[in-house]
This record gives sequence, C-alpha cells and structure tokens, in this order.
Amino acid sequence: MTQRILVWDLPTRIFHWALALSFAGAFLTCESERWCDFHVLLGYTVLGLIVFRLVWGFVGTRYSRFAEFLRSPAYVIRYIAQLLRGHAEHSVGHNPAGAVAILLLLLLGIASGVSGCAVYEEVGGDWLEELHEFTSNAMLAVVFVHIAGVLVTSYLHDENLIVAMISGRKRGPVNQAISNNYRLIAMLLLTALIGFWIWAWPDSRDMKWLCEIGQRLNGVSALIIAPTRE
Amino acid sequence: MHFGRGIALAGTINLRKITMKRICIILLINSVFTLSAWAEQPQDFLATFAAQAKIDNATFSGFDASRGEQFFKSSHGGDWSCSTCHTENPTAMGKHTVTKKAIKPMAPSANPERFTNTAKVEKWFKRNCKDVVKRECTAQEKGDVLTYLLSLSR
Repeated sequence: MTQRILVWDLPTRIFHWALALSFAGAFLTCESERWCDFHVLLGYTVLGLIVFRLVWGFVGTRYSRFAEFLRSPAYVIRYIAQLLRGHAEHSVGHNPAGAVAILLLLLLGIASGVSGCAVYEEVGGDWLEELHEFTSNAMLAVVFVHIAGVLVTSYLHDENLIVAMISGRKRGPVNQAISNNYRLIAMLLLTALIGFWIWAWPDSRDMKWLCEIGQRLNGVSALIIAPTRE
Repeated sequence: MHFGRGIALAGTINLRKITMKRICIILLINSVFTLSAWAEQPQDFLATFAAQAKIDNATFSGFDASRGEQFFKSSHGGDWSCSTCHTENPTAMGKHTVTKKAIKPMAPSANPERFTNTAKVEKWFKRNCKDVVKRECTAQEKGDVLTYLLSLSR
C-alpha cells in the first residue's frame, strides 16, 4: 500500500537546510570585506555540516546512506534519458540524478571549504584563491541544477519535494518507511551548530542578533519535531 | 622466477611512463601559471589607467599624487577609507579592520609585489572600491592612487 511515509530523518533535514542557509550566506558575504568574519564562520559551518553528512552517509537511516543512493553511471544516464522523455521512475529516496548532484555538492563543499581555510590562513599561493573561487562557483552552479531538478521532478511526479525535505515524508510503500527519526542526534547536531556559532562569534559583533536567530531556530525545530511525533 | 621479473620490469617501465606524464603535466600547469602571473610593472598600470581615463574624459590631464593621497585617506561619505585597513602610511603594514589580519604594505617601494599582476589589481580595486566608495573606481581615481603610492619611498 502506497502512502506518505517517513523517508528523510530529522538530522538529514536539519543538515540540508543548515547547509543551504550557510552556503547561501557564505555567497552573500563574499563580496565585501565588511562581512569577511561571517563569511569565514559560514564556511566553517559548511565544512562541519558536510563532515557530519559524510558520517551520516554510512551510519544514518536507509535513504540517507551513500550505499543506498549512489548508482552506477550507466544507471544515472538511463534515468536522465527517461527524465528528458518526461516519464522517469519515481524513487522513494533520492533519484539517481539527484544523488549525483548531492555527491557533487558534498565534494565541492569540501574543496571550497578547505581551500577557503587555506586562503584565510595564507598557507599557499594565489592558486588557492583561484581554486576557492572556482569550486564555490561550481558548487553554486550545482545548487541551481539541484533546484531545477527538484522542481522538474516535483512536477513530473506531482509530489512537492521541497515540502518533503521539511516534513521528511514522501510517497512510498508503507513497508519501505524508515522507522526512526533520530531526534536525539538531530538535537545534538542543532546544539553543536548553535554552540559553534556562539563560541566562534566574532568579538567585535553584537551578540543579540545571534540570540534572536537561536530562538527562531528553536521555534522552527519545534515545528519540525511536533508533527512527526507519533 | 623469470616470469615474475618480466612483470616487475614492465611495471617499472609503466611507472616511468606515468612519472614522465606527470612531470609533463606539472610543467604545463606551471607554465600556464607563470604566464598568467606574468609580471607587469606598476608603470604598466599607470599607462593602462591613463588610456582609459582619456576615453572617459577628453580633458584628462594626467595623474596627481596629492589628489591620490586625498582619495586614499578620505571616507567618501561612508565609514571606511582605503587607510582604514591600509593605514595612513602605505609603506607600513596594514591591518584588516574586521578580521584584524595583517596586510602587506601597498607602496611598491615597501612591497615590490604590489601592482605586478593584472588579475589581482583588477580584483582588489573592484572589491575594495565597492566597500569604500560604494561603486567601482574610475581610471582617474585608480591612476591618482597608484601615482601617490609610487611617490612614497621607505
């Protein structure tokens, strides 16, 4: 029997939106020296989040595992061909093309984060600056492809994938649902995130701002947790 | 035994081939970097800025160090000037006002690496002008500032 089942556990969803926010923030703060401290802070956040996701990709729930969603190139090409003809198979978790975008985002995020650290700490030459700009721009390009893919697939399968990444629920056979939301891990992740921001908050900046964001994040997480409580 | 040696030998040749290939690639990348970082001189930039300034303004009458100094040290209606980070003395080390990181001197007399790379000059004028004057700098302004920086000796 097919209905809306839990596919994305809470840590995966928090990771997703935290990564989206930090990456967007890093891009918005990269043009001016004025926001340089926040740009660096956001970059470290991107790196930390990806490290979590790499671990979660091995020990997390079914659809978050690399072994579940990484497919052979031939399989991916066949799927994209289907997609272009407008009748792609519905996947319960990541579809094969989306999985490639996710892998690229993780790899480019690491490259961008590490090269950014190296530029900031002035450990290498100018080529690191070039590498940082290239990998960040490439990551932004993949983000746009990812968003386009989400919109196209949402339309094709008449399933709102943006809402799915908030509620964690997608269409699928009841016996294919993940059984645990890992709320404790999610809380630890969120605590680590907020804790890191408080600890690393630049001395020269007003802290009130951060407290407000923290309160709002708590509100948002309460909203995410409440409906999934059985 | 004999057979094993054959394989080992083939392995070495193969390894050598790979190493040669790698060296070639490294040399190629290196030369590309060298070419792209082809050392211009500060005077080359003065010429470029002058050519552009003539196009922008028919009555262009050259660059002026004191006008450049004034531009460098005034805040143009915002809260930052060039000297906020680069200090009032461009032959000394500067300090990023947000990150507190050290910035090498701007005057070529104190730091010969300044104004020797087109990509860097363009990138940093563009970024920093947006921070200080909230727009890109004109060729006149860039030329005046460079003339000022070149007039300074250690």
